[in-house]
Amino acid sequence: MALYTSTPHFKLEGPSDQIAIPTSSFNFQELADIYNQSRVDYIVPMPMNARRMEEYVRNYDIDLDASAVSLNSNDEITGIGMLGVREERAWITRLGVIPESRGRKTGQFLVQSLLHQARQRQARQVQLEVIKGNDPAYNLFLKFGFRQTRELLIIRRPPGIPTTRQLEDVSIRPLTVHEIAPLLQQRLFKPSWIEETASILKAGNLKGFEIKLEKGETGWIIFQLKAFQMEHVVFYTPDENRELMTRALLYTLHQQYAKQDTKIENLPADSPVWPIFEEKGYVEAFRRYEMVLEL
Amino acid sequence: MSHVLVIEDNLSNARLVAKLLNHAGHEVTLAEDGEMGLTAISDIQPDLILVDLGLPDMDGQTVVALLRQESSLNGVPIIAFTAWPQATAYHMAQAYGCDGIITKPIDTRTFPQLIADYLQNAKAAQ
Repeated sequence: MALYTSTPHFKLEGPSDQIAIPTSSFNFQELADIYNQSRVDYIVPMPMNARRMEEYVRNYDIDLDASAVSLNSNDEITGIGMLGVREERAWITRLGVIPESRGRKTGQFLVQSLLHQARQRQARQVQLEVIKGNDPAYNLFLKFGFRQTRELLIIRRPPGIPTTRQLEDVSIRPLTVHEIAPLLQQRLFKPSWIEETASILKAGNLKGFEIKLEKGETGWIIFQLKAFQMEHVVFYTPDENRELMTRALLYTLHQQYAKQDTKIENLPADSPVWPIFEEKGYVEAFRRYEMVLEL
Repeated sequence: MSHVLVIEDNLSNARLVAKLLNHAGHEVTLAEDGEMGLTAISDIQPDLILVDLGLPDMDGQTVVALLRQESSLNGVPIIAFTAWPQATAYHMAQAYGCDGIITKPIDTRTFPQLIADYLQNAKAAQ
């Protein structure tokens, strides 16, 4: 692992002569490399490149001065952790320890560093998601006082027109770009950090449509449309006829964009419409636990 | 001699796989990301494609989905190559139309025969 030589903005000292320095000392390729090294043996490896790292930092309001890279006494990089900050909330993400450096409380030290930075920025609450099955990380967060709030699904759907028949008598209207932001703001349930309105608007390339059922109920779906994939899919269904509306929204989405692969992150695992997603060809990739700490 | 396209971003893994395949008599084309892999198929006609599901940009599932849309690849086995837990990997690979999975870290003793079996099955199905 490369030696670090730049001057840090902050320097937090930890156990085993480790220090934490801000990620703003590194470029995006270096950050992606550190992150990939720390996750090489992860349950669900999700490597990044420089472009994806830059996009991640921008879309999710990662504070590079608050995020940290840890180094040992030989100035060798041992781990990384990132902090998103929005008003009085913070989000811990991309936490990882280089395999050769594990067993020296590096993860604990990185979390301490990030929480310290969150407090410095007046955050009152810190949230994170941890992959289900990553017990060491889960237990580490419990030690810091994080409590589990939700179980979330990450689901995928290959391209293809849904095989189940479209419902009759629905009217479909594309949403204008000016309608999208206000509709996102109207969501009543709490989205995960990456699906918050700020994240989705920064992701860009947004499309959406509204569906009206025969009896007049309306629902909508908004998504990021890329060349080969749809992401950041969010939707609203009325309480009455929720299942009918979900079927109509998903059928229409996948009929109109049959060539796109679809990824939806952090759908609540107890969502009553998850079986309808399965019906329309979605499969579960993995699960996360959302955890929260009040500062 | 068969031609295998390997789409894998981890250089160590890619080199190991290429070495094992070359040793077994196969020609190998390496692509370090999905875009390069999709470009490669316009230059070569692979007999088998090995796709790492954990690619850094366009992920493996999307790559498999795009490969499956190429009519020139009808009958070519696409094998998911992944460190994911086996049950999850199998489920995902099946949903995306893969013909099989090989889990990481690979067993160097059995890997060549696994590839040979997939190639043999593909040939028999033609």
